Amino acid sequence: MLRWKYSRPLLIAITVIFAILPFAGDNPLSKAGLQQTMAVAFLFGALALTYDLLFGFTGLLSFGHALYFASGMYVTAILINDFNVHFLLAIVGAIFFTSLLAALTGGAALRTSGITFAMVTLAFGQAGHVVVARDFGGFTNGDDGLPVNPDRLPDFFIGVVNTKYLYLLALGVLVFIYFAAWWITESSAGRVFAALRDNEQRVSVLGLNPNRFKLLSFVLSAAMAALIGATMLIVSGSGSPRYAAADITIALLLMVILGGPITRWGAVLGGILYSVLSTRLNFISEGTALNSLPRFIGGPLAEPAFTLGLIFILIVMFAPGGISGAYYRARFKYLNKGK
Amino acid sequence: MSTFLLILVTGVGLGALYFLVASGLSLIYGLMGVLNFAHGSFLTIGAFSGLWISTKVFPNPTTWTFLASMLAGGIVAGLFALLMEQLVINRLYNRHIDQALVTVGVSLVVTALLGGWFGFDARFLPTPLWFMKAVTIGDAIIPIDRFIYIAVAAILLIAMLSILRFTRIGLIIRAGVENRSMVSALGINVRLAFSTVFFIGGFAAGVGGVLISVFSYGVSPLMGGSWLIYGFIVVVVGGMGSIAGSAIAAMLIGITNQFANYYVTGLGDFVVVIILAAVLLTKPTGLLGKVSH
Repeated sequence: MLRWKYSRPLLIAITVIFAILPFAGDNPLSKAGLQQTMAVAFLFGALALTYDLLFGFTGLLSFGHALYFASGMYVTAILINDFNVHFLLAIVGAIFFTSLLAALTGGAALRTSGITFAMVTLAFGQAGHVVVARDFGGFTNGDDGLPVNPDRLPDFFIGVVNTKYLYLLALGVLVFIYFAAWWITESSAGRVFAALRDNEQRVSVLGLNPNRFKLLSFVLSAAMAALIGATMLIVSGSGSPRYAAADITIALLLMVILGGPITRWGAVLGGILYSVLSTRLNFISEGTALNSLPRFIGGPLAEPAFTLGLIFILIVMFAPGGISGAYYRARFKYLNKGK
Repeated sequence: MSTFLLILVTGVGLGALYFLVASGLSLIYGLMGVLNFAHGSFLTIGAFSGLWISTKVFPNPTTWTFLASMLAGGIVAGLFALLMEQLVINRLYNRHIDQALVTVGVSLVVTALLGGWFGFDARFLPTPLWFMKAVTIGDAIIPIDRFIYIAVAAILLIAMLSILRFTRIGLIIRAGVENRSMVSALGINVRLAFSTVFFIGGFAAGVGGVLISVFSYGVSPLMGGSWLIYGFIVVVVGGMGSIAGSAIAAMLIGITNQFANYYVTGLGDFVVVIILAAVLLTKPTGLLGKVSH
């Protein structure tokens, strides 16, 4: 997609600038508030990328991706709090558990395909949400959320003054997931994923087992989602049932469509934009011109979901491919101008 | 025995509400292959229209004003569904994933719009006083509202089945569910059937929205979301495109949910999901499924 030659320096430059800004004197990113917002946004960018691996690259429309994100989050918290496990080991344990869970649920769901697959994954996701929210087994603390014991985390992750380290942690995880996704999609298995999306019948005629590769894609993206969930636990300080809700998966779908599927950076950009907009549109609308508008216009405009939903509808109808799709179309036009 | 009867009737009443949400979803998916995430918005819009009739237009609740609320809820939601079909769905002809995605967008916008106008707190929908009463059957005391849900759902079920069975448009819809390309190839205007299905589905969801506001003691912009998921589950268990299948699945899920919840609070939701997974894994087309897109 984006040519390696041009994109590598650009992406590295952007990452380095984001990594330095919190430490470089007085700028918006040196404030803890925006650092926290951006840390969450980076993690949603990474999560959107893992969803893109399923939806964009492999062509699997799953509505249960939040399950694996929440599983990574909650298993880490439970291992740290209840079993006194070192936090790095707990994260590894959570990734392992989530991969197993994904192999089981994904294996069952992949007996179906298309919309039915979407529904089965939605059902598994809902089951996960019920388990977390109703506190079956007494591990998850139900609707109140599950705070991670701060004494068991390193000191530099605790407290408002240390938000910049959480920010760096989130950025680091995003970079790691980005390279992992890059490696996966450019590997030979990644080629098979893309082939499955484009023509499944042909893949099986070539002698490859489609379900085995779909399951591989499903488990890989779930394992990465678990890592992101564990990081989100450290960044936000506690697990919450809302991370297991179907809303999260739908938000991921919006992020990928917004940024554009199958381009990697599109999903990341979409995730970051969506996350920042949905937290910051509230602040922007407060105390500005919106308040002077009549309520029947100003009220909905103050809701981030209204603006995001409208943008989303317009993108699906008139600009499929999202931001990255538009970029590539413009670039293609530019490069072919002389011909 | 009295508890058993109470749970059973409550379960059937809940099933009736599920059916109102699911029937339209099922027809729309069966005919057009559109997974309609905006169906929850139809429900919410219906509930708000009913609320408007019952509070602003007729401030004194009687049986007639409640009937007017239900009718208004159904019609407004049906018209909204029609509008959405004409403005959005039609333009994405045969792009099934995009159609589903665009309905996700519509549901977000409608929730935010209603939330921006009316706030997210639940509002009470006034009902005639006799809704609060209970009837005694044997030694069981059963709140009367459950019978209202069942009656309304039964009337709509019969109406829908009659439209499908005895009218020309119903014939086109039934044929379209089985093989849409063949129907168009014969020169029959399927688009009209699309619009009809959206109106009927929106109408049922809108009526359901008014009744659900009574059942859950309030109207809120967020009510559509959680009922939509149950609607999906019922449709998938019953089989896409089959009204009778939706009715059976709605009863099955409503009753199971209530009994499971009686023994362990919160277990109902979990059991419903297990039923869904079990049905899909053994019979992916659902109980009475006709289509396998």
